[in-house]
Amino acid sequence: MFGKKTLAELIKELKKDSQVTHWHEIPEKEAKTVEMPHELDNRIKRALEKRSIKQLYTHQKSAYDTVMRGENVVAVTPTASGKTLCYNLPVLQKHMNHPAGRALYIFPTKALAQDQKAELNEIIDEMEVNINSYTYDGDTPANIRQVVRKAGHVVITNPDMLHAAILPHHTKWISLFENLETIVIDELHTYRGVFGSHVANVIRRLKRICAYYGSNPTFICTSATIANPEELSSELIGEPVRLIDNNGAPKGKKHFVFYNPPIVHKQLNIRKNGTKVVNELASRFLKEKIQTIVFARSRVRVEIILSHLQELVKNEINRQSIRGYRGGYLPKQRREIERSLRSGETIGVVSTNALELGVDIGQLQVCVMNGYPGSIASSWQQAGRAGRRKDESLVIMVANSSPLDQYLFQHPEFFFEGSPETARINKDNLIILVDHLKCAAYELPFHRGDTFDGVDVEEILEYLTEERVLHDNNDKWFWMNDAFPAHNISLRSAAQENVVIIDQSAVENHRVIGEMDTFSAMTLLHDEAIYLHEGTQYQVEYLDWDEKKAFVREVDVEYFTDANLAVKLKVLEIDKDKAAGMHNVQYGDVMVTAMATIFKKIKLETFENIGSGPIHLPEQELHSNGLALTFAESTFANEKDDVIEQVLMGMAHVIQHVSCVHVMCDRNDLHAVPEVKAIHSQQPTVFLYDRYPGGIGLSESVYTQINEIIRECLDFVWNCSCDGGCPSCVGVAGAGPETQVKKWVLKLLSQIATYE
Amino acid sequence: MSIKSKLIRMKKHLQTETNDKKESTELEKDSSSDEIPHETLSLEDSFSKLGFVPFYFDGERSYRKRVVYTYDQKRDKALLRSMTKLKDFWSSDLTTHPLSFHGKSTDRLLFFDTETTGLSTGAGNVIFLIGYARLKAEGIEVTQHLLESPSNEAAFLSGFLEDFAEDDYLVTYNGKSFDWPQVKSRHAFIRKELPKLPEFGHIDLLHSARRLWKHELPSCRLSIVEEEKLHISRENDTPGSLAPLLYFDYLHEKDPHHLAGIIKHNDQDVRSLAYLYEQIAMKIIFSSNGNTTSMEHYYIGDWFEKLGNYEWAFYHYEQSIERSSRPFSQAYYRLGLLNKKLGNKQEAIRLLSTSLHQTTFPPLEAWIELSKLAEHYEKDMEKAIYYAKEASSQLKKTKRMTQTIRKRQEANLNKRLNRLEQKFRK
Repeated sequence: MFGKKTLAELIKELKKDSQVTHWHEIPEKEAKTVEMPHELDNRIKRALEKRSIKQLYTHQKSAYDTVMRGENVVAVTPTASGKTLCYNLPVLQKHMNHPAGRALYIFPTKALAQDQKAELNEIIDEMEVNINSYTYDGDTPANIRQVVRKAGHVVITNPDMLHAAILPHHTKWISLFENLETIVIDELHTYRGVFGSHVANVIRRLKRICAYYGSNPTFICTSATIANPEELSSELIGEPVRLIDNNGAPKGKKHFVFYNPPIVHKQLNIRKNGTKVVNELASRFLKEKIQTIVFARSRVRVEIILSHLQELVKNEINRQSIRGYRGGYLPKQRREIERSLRSGETIGVVSTNALELGVDIGQLQVCVMNGYPGSIASSWQQAGRAGRRKDESLVIMVANSSPLDQYLFQHPEFFFEGSPETARINKDNLIILVDHLKCAAYELPFHRGDTFDGVDVEEILEYLTEERVLHDNNDKWFWMNDAFPAHNISLRSAAQENVVIIDQSAVENHRVIGEMDTFSAMTLLHDEAIYLHEGTQYQVEYLDWDEKKAFVREVDVEYFTDANLAVKLKVLEIDKDKAAGMHNVQYGDVMVTAMATIFKKIKLETFENIGSGPIHLPEQELHSNGLALTFAESTFANEKDDVIEQVLMGMAHVIQHVSCVHVMCDRNDLHAVPEVKAIHSQQPTVFLYDRYPGGIGLSESVYTQINEIIRECLDFVWNCSCDGGCPSCVGVAGAGPETQVKKWVLKLLSQIATYE
Repeated sequence: MSIKSKLIRMKKHLQTETNDKKESTELEKDSSSDEIPHETLSLEDSFSKLGFVPFYFDGERSYRKRVVYTYDQKRDKALLRSMTKLKDFWSSDLTTHPLSFHGKSTDRLLFFDTETTGLSTGAGNVIFLIGYARLKAEGIEVTQHLLESPSNEAAFLSGFLEDFAEDDYLVTYNGKSFDWPQVKSRHAFIRKELPKLPEFGHIDLLHSARRLWKHELPSCRLSIVEEEKLHISRENDTPGSLAPLLYFDYLHEKDPHHLAGIIKHNDQDVRSLAYLYEQIAMKIIFSSNGNTTSMEHYYIGDWFEKLGNYEWAFYHYEQSIERSSRPFSQAYYRLGLLNKKLGNKQEAIRLLSTSLHQTTFPPLEAWIELSKLAEHYEKDMEKAIYYAKEASSQLKKTKRMTQTIRKRQEANLNKRLNRLEQKFRK
């Protein structure tokens, strides 16, 4: 085609755009390399040379040396920096030194495991030695499984398989556990929050089995950039870990652009819809066939952007060249999309954070983010999807109106110079701990005096004995139940059961098109909801809540649905209590009840509300940890209740967003609820709680750094350019001037904040 | 808050493994109401009431019971005669057949079954009762080992291993995928204290039962096969599915009486295995004097064909036709196919044609096979086309077929017809 523009030309054009608020250039970086370790086996050296690897990057060498000394390591490596050699090299060399030794690789997903097996096997083939590496996952055929168990030098699996298939059947894996020398944990940063807390307990069980069979493996972890890789890895494996972060990989030049959509409503400080801006920006590149990835924050958003993009560029490229990618697609579909991205058949992909992980899709040229992904670490992971080792690449972050985004755009230095977030787990969450103790007891009896990787568990074992799950005999606790505990415990989701989504558009051919956790299903799969899947709209005809099935049918409508969740909160027990300026903050156990109430129909083009309906689903109960920010009685003097409510909602909005940045969690993990008259204190209160049974340590962490967080909130609201409050700061759009929410919020925040 | 009170408060969120324990306890109480109060007895006394005697291994105690059922009944005498015949047969013929115990005497057969604390096959599933029957000279000898408590597993398993020789031959029901892997798993825990598990022969009767009866029985569970095929009906039997709960009750209350029902159940199971083995093996080898049905012959023929014993397959297919009260198109079809496989094309054509005339809905494949033979062997394109067209029209009339299979068949037939017509025109 004539007049085709190159990426460089498009970058030039973009530079002139007045909505670009910040342009950050990351210069290219030369490689830092060192000689191969001289003791490295010649066969490994030759195999690497055939792949044109004659030297090592500095971080690869450090990782190798440290592991060979027998220390645990965590290597922090950006995308495409050769991290796999950080573990493959020591594992291969160890095998040459001691061929009976075994290694276990743990990847967060099956797809990653498949990729890694292929890569490892290529090196092994070129070495011309007999090292068996196998993946062991749900897809492994039964007849191969036995071979893997008996003869796999390197077994590649995921935490779920380890949890439900390998550890409970350890007697079939004796030769692995007796000879286990190395455990590789890739993508360490994904093991945070609930999932991380589960996996940490799976590792406790793994170490317990290893100890039983007399092995004491070394751990090699790799992680994307987070603030505390050392802390997270040593929490996760329960041992000290050495940090490797002297990255020596080269990088091409990268442009990182902050793009703030124009203000369309001056008084209310409302900006043009971010999704529309993303569509316009992404289509510029797609029209020139420049491979582009668009990241959106939610599944619904992915589908909306996908269908718009397909429409916008239909004259230039084939509709099928733009794909969606998110959780809820079936694995086969995902593999196919990954493959077509690598081959270049697919030019554009719209994804949720599912593609943050190291799934191999090759390196794309442009990355567009619809809104700040919620954490600095996550942003860099997504940005890493664009950029090859030599070529120029472009990352555009498009702000939406949320306080978080606007806060970040006010302070680009916070993003580019600040430290990334801290990843947390709470492996002693009582519910998670009890779940895994059951599994551990199933695997091996507990002796009196045994700890669970250092945790005293006698009281829990006694509780389980009373429940007749364990049997106490001869100073040992035995599993005495006909259940298989691992099957009832899912590492991935807070709610243990998923709703299956069944498409009944074709009468004779009902098919399953996806699944969703029950909590999300309450607001996304209720009767009459519009569910989007690969750009196709489906309407939910019937949600069978008891059977956990949603029956959907393809439709073509001009709106999407958005459901409201009503949340009530009860304080059960106060563990901690302190003054917060003029006010007070408490931390403890809470009981949350949530109920989906109504849904709204929102027009796709204009985002206007065009109708609504009720949702009839049972209330869900959640026992968790939370904090209560209670305001002194005198605060609101004679204000009316609805004014107080407006103000508290504004407070909740700001605090929730700023807290999420500080404790590095998804907005859905930490919820905020305002109450004009809280039941426990009869005073105006803002609650923050962990949205997982038993809590995962988020609100506790907010409690500890409350002053810091409140000061950030104050700073942020103060700097917002609006007059009386806007969706970007206190979240209340169109609040009448008489309320003056913003003023109130500023007043309350400054009453809490204390300065040294 | 203390951990315990937190646990109690969070009970709703905690998974529970409880199920209807009540049912099992009540069920047991009914049958034990007329017994003397057993709390007064020591554990050893209570076990001895059930016929179990203690023995010791490295200071650990386990219990064992041995009973001999003498060969009084007609059925038992028939069993002995059959087993002798079978032994002689296997020693010279079909020595590698899955049911063969070639080279062993009949008393080396170990009819074996276990009761466990769960149905999963993981490390937390414990075997608490091992039972096996041997055909001794004086009668059927049933031995049972009982796990007194989970800490006495070494003694429990050693008692069994001592009694078990390298050249014993296991006969089980689903033992290849359940009981024996489970024994291996338990042995792995105490492998350092115990001798190695010997490698030995293993006949799994579930596989044979499925071959013969999968098509006529609602399920091939042992209890169903026993009732339908061995005509053994049990009275007041404790179902095996209650085994885990009964054992938990025993451990909890330290009262062996809870186990009485399951011990009896296991004892009956291992003896039934002997009769079942006899029944199946006789049907296969000495069917001429037995009451093997036409359908059984057909499926035995199918089994032999898969094993590559074509002579035996021929015999059973022929028997299935002979004993059938109705025309048996499918058997003719299989005989024809087998002849084709062995190169007897002319005979194959005869049998396949016969198969077509038995019924209005002969196997679709019979038409197709005949079409193939006409094309490649007889070189008669017209005939080949005729058969293919007949197949096609029958496919249209056939109702019981899934969409995917129908589509595939249609596509294949159309391809065949097109090719044949092209060939014919040349």
